[in-house]
Formats: sequence, C-alpha cells, structure tokens
Amino acid sequence: MTETPKAIAKDRAPLSGGGLRLIGYYWRRLTRNRLAVFGLAFIIFLALVAIIGPFFTPDPTEVDFEAKNLPPVGFTITHSTYDIKTDQFITTRVSGNWKHPLGTDRKGRDMLAMIVSGARVSLQVGLLATGIAIIIGTIIGVMSAYLGGWVDNALMRFTDVMMTFPFFLLLVLIVFIFGPSLAFIVLAIGLTGWTGTARMVRSESLSLRTREFVMAAKALGAGDGWVVFRHLIPNVISLIIVIATLSIPGVILAEAALSFIGLGDPTVPSWGIILEEGQHSLTTAWWVAVEPGIMLFLTVLAFNFLGDGLRDAFDPKSSV
Amino acid sequence: METGNIDAIVLRVNELRTYFFTRRGVIKAVDGVSFELRRGECLCLVGESGCGKTVTALSILRLFDSPPGRIVGGTVCYNSTDLTTCSPQQLRRIRGKEIALILQEAQSALNPVLTIGDQIIEQMRLHLPMDTNEARAKAVRLLREMGIPSAEDVLGYYPHQLSGGMKQRVLVAISLSCDPRVLIADEPTTAVDVTIKAQILDMFRELKEKRQMSIIFITHDLGVVAEIGDRAVIMYGGKDVETAPIPDIINFPKHPYTMGLLECLPDVAKEVERLNSIPGMPPDPSYLPSGCAFHPRCPRALDICPRQEPPLVQLSKEHKVRCHLYG
Repeated sequence: MTETPKAIAKDRAPLSGGGLRLIGYYWRRLTRNRLAVFGLAFIIFLALVAIIGPFFTPDPTEVDFEAKNLPPVGFTITHSTYDIKTDQFITTRVSGNWKHPLGTDRKGRDMLAMIVSGARVSLQVGLLATGIAIIIGTIIGVMSAYLGGWVDNALMRFTDVMMTFPFFLLLVLIVFIFGPSLAFIVLAIGLTGWTGTARMVRSESLSLRTREFVMAAKALGAGDGWVVFRHLIPNVISLIIVIATLSIPGVILAEAALSFIGLGDPTVPSWGIILEEGQHSLTTAWWVAVEPGIMLFLTVLAFNFLGDGLRDAFDPKSSV
Repeated sequence: METGNIDAIVLRVNELRTYFFTRRGVIKAVDGVSFELRRGECLCLVGESGCGKTVTALSILRLFDSPPGRIVGGTVCYNSTDLTTCSPQQLRRIRGKEIALILQEAQSALNPVLTIGDQIIEQMRLHLPMDTNEARAKAVRLLREMGIPSAEDVLGYYPHQLSGGMKQRVLVAISLSCDPRVLIADEPTTAVDVTIKAQILDMFRELKEKRQMSIIFITHDLGVVAEIGDRAVIMYGGKDVETAPIPDIINFPKHPYTMGLLECLPDVAKEVERLNSIPGMPPDPSYLPSGCAFHPRCPRALDICPRQEPPLVQLSKEHKVRCHLYG
C-alpha cells in the first residue's frame, strides 16, 4: 500500500492537464506529416471561402452583358464575332481585368462568384452524404459485431447485396426516377455509400468486443447500450474519422460526375455543373471548365492527404 | 476464520456445471463445483491453467459468452437469488454493485480511450444515486485508499499513462466503488513483479480485515494462497477435488493432486537441481479422462480410478476431498 514518491513520479505521465491530451498527442503526430498539414490548411481555407466567401462576391446568377467570355486576370484571348451589318468577322482582343478576377462565362456570369458558391455546394454535398453514410455504416457495423449470430449474418449479407449494386448506375437511376434535385443526390449517395464503413467498423468492433475492458464493464453491471456507446464507439472513432475523410472526395467527385453527365441539379451551381457548362465552350472560354476542375482536383487531393495523414497518426504501429 | 460470524454465508455455489458447446464437442470447463463463501473470508480457487477457475468465476456472474457457453446444472445463491436463473436485469444490478469481478488482465481491462476518472465515476453513477461531484470525491478517496498519491491528477490520466501496478489498483478501486459485498479477483498477482505482488496482497488483506469483504481469490500460486487465504478450493479438470482451511491444505493435504502442487513449491532450506513438477499435462477439458480426471498423472492411482468418479468424502467438518483413497 505504500509507494515512495519517487516511484510514483516515474509512474506519472510526462504531461499534465485536462482530457485534451490525447487529442494533442494525435495532433502532434498529424502535424509531422507535411502533406496532411497542407491538406488540412487547404480544407480550412476552402471551408472559410464556402462560408464567408458569398458575402464578398457578387451574386453568381448576376449577368454582366458587357463582359461575356472574359478571361481571367493575366490572360488575353482573341474573340472573333460575326457582325451582321457588315457581314464580316470582327476579331477583338480581350484581356482579363480585376472586376472579374477569374473571368466570366459565356452568359457573363462572374466565375469567382460561381466557384465560391460551388465550393459551398460541393462541401455540403461531401459532408452531408458522408455523414449519412458514416452514421448508417457505424450503426450497422457495431450492431452486427455486437449482437452477432443471425443478426450479424443478416446485416452482413444485406451489406454484400448493397455492395454488388453498381453504385453509379444506381445513382443515375435514382436521379432519373426522382428528378435531378441536390437533396436526392445527397440522400442517394449517403444511402448507398455506407457499405465499406459498415464492414470496417464491424471488423474493428469484433476485435474490441472480446477485449477485456468490455468484459470488465459487463462484470461491473454495464448494459448493452452502455457498452456500445461508452466502450465500442469511442474506440472506433479514429477509424470513422479516417473513413469519413477519405470518402468525402469520392462523394464530391460522384456529385461532379453526375452533374457532368447532365444529371446534376441545374438550379444549384456546384463545381460539376460549372464544369459541365464549361465543356461546351472549351474552345472559346477554356477557363470555365478548367477553374472548377482545378478546384475539384485540389480539394480531392487535400482530403486524401489529410485522410492518409490521419490514418498514419491514429495507427499505433506507424512511427510518424 | 477468526471472525465471530463464521457461519454467515454470503455466496453459495452448488454443483455448478458450465459447458461450452462447440463444433469440436462439449467442453466441460466447470463440471460440478461446490463451495460457500463466508463473510469476511478469503477463499482461494487454486489449480493449473485450464482447470476451470476462471470459468467458475465468470459463471457466478454469468459473464461467459453464450452461446457457446451454458450453465447446465447447479445453482449460485446470493441473498436467496439464484444467479444462474435470475433475469438479466436482476443480474446487472448485482454485477458490480453486490459482486464485483476483477479480470485477469489488468493491462487491458481499462478502456484505452477514457480517462481513469471517467471510468470510476461512471461505474458509480451506473449503480448509485450520485451526482458527478459526489462520485468524483469518492473516486479520489478510493484511489487514495488504494495507495495512489495525487489521486486528483490520476483521474485525468489515460490508462496507458499508468504502470501495471497502478492499473491493478485502479481496477480494484473501480470494483470497490459501489461497495460490493463480494470481490472476485482473477489472478490479480500474475504478470506483476514481486514488489507489486506484495503490495496487492497487502491491499487485499486490508480489504478483508477492514471492510469485512468476502473475497474469492483465483490463483495457481500456493505461496500466495498461504499468505492471504482462509480456505482453499483445489480444482482439477473442472471439479473441486479438495476443499479445506489453508493450514490443513498446507500441512495435511489429502488429494494426491494437492500434494503434487505443494511439492512443486520451492523450498528455501533445500538446494535442488531443478524444481519439482507434476508429470504430464493438465487435461484437455474437451476430452477429460474417465473416472477421476487426475488418474493418468496420479502416483497413487488405484484400479477403480479410471472406471469410477470418486465421491465427495467429508473428512471433517471443514475438509472435503474427491478421491478413492478415502472412500
């Protein structure tokens, strides 16, 4: 019962403070990965743009008749327009100006405003659909692992069946039936995208379930709900964070792809919609397609870097 | 045993049988174990690995995995409740509140993502009408009692920040947080070094004496038994082969298995080349030898041993043995 203060001092952890230490530990591991830091920085920047950007940019639906197909700042292009009075082609040189830093599209809409509002849409789609998928996947995975037996069997076979559906065709079908509304697209992606999560959460929970602390909790009178919410889910949170981060870009791309093939919601200017419109004027105004493309590329890359970094940071076996 | 109310029986296990029905056959992990636990005593369950000690402990609280495990016979009586048949709700109120179990692996019995404080406080709030502040104060008191200084700090620690001995104490503190009447400790001194072992034994002795706690202490170490036990149940092949007060076990062992175990203990006075061991292996519980499960290893086996299970022989009021030698 007695222990010398010296022995205790050795027992004590090097850190003192509140319950945030664990988060601090993972944060330090994450920030050692430069690409992950870049990803996180870009995502934060993008989130800020999406949240407060629309207050500073013009209305993306506002049309500037004076400046159609205006290139971005620093670029000059040659327009040839057909003049009906003289029956001649007139070539004019147009340079980008700071009124429309990223140029305008063929209707004269400000590209910067469209990109900013597109960021809002794409992030919303990514977060909402991933949120739905993660919640469903976690519930099914944990229930499957914890209840076991025929429940496990039934849920996992259901998951298998869901996995065999060609995901993208299913999306196309849903959009075809219910019409191209963004809410439906989000729901459809969320309701079909949980299968991988369910499997990973299940396998993780299966091993957690047999860990001593779960038995210990039961030995001390904990019920099933308690075990699941206090012991299983907190232990799979790191896995869930990684899955979520890595699946957001997939969702954003899926929405963009749907829009690109013309099944997107035409009332909401997502990056996919802008890209789709841009492809028709690639020869006259290449920037309309390239700008949302670059944004998609960077966003997907940033989420993937961050996700990889998180996975390494959470992995006790990796030495970051 | 020195206490006045010798006969106050807290927990009575009677002919308990827990079998596991697996694809490879029926494993009779516990096959007829009887003992009673009295108030303020330390009862030791002793035996080699795989003899059913842990499953006995888990069966008392019905904590084994089911399926495949099932209690196929016997009763566990606590306060006139039969724990083998009571409802899960009733059982949950008893677990932790009345009978607390400390699992074998102290290192992994704490949830790695919750702080020590979370784990103690929530345990209390699960069973007792307490608010967080009361529970916190009690948690600090308990940790101090367990010999953990700067207990307030420790509440904010995660399990990986504690040493093995500290974790063991925290586990005991969690187990005691709802003031249970019975504490079951499964090999609490295995896998800790000698110093910590001595501290843990001291702690259990103190619990027994100060709190009149009834303790079931599971171990394979007769040295530990001699130090803190009052009575012992020697188990072999899922059966209680000998039950007696510790002095009788040490000085007048009756069952050849008990004798064998005692011979395995090193003697400081004698210098030997190598330590004794009982020849052979502990039996596979899915394929127990016929008759007395110990007969293949028994130096004094009789003709009858492989053929017939030995009956329980009451040698004296406190001394019981299952062996044909005394039949």
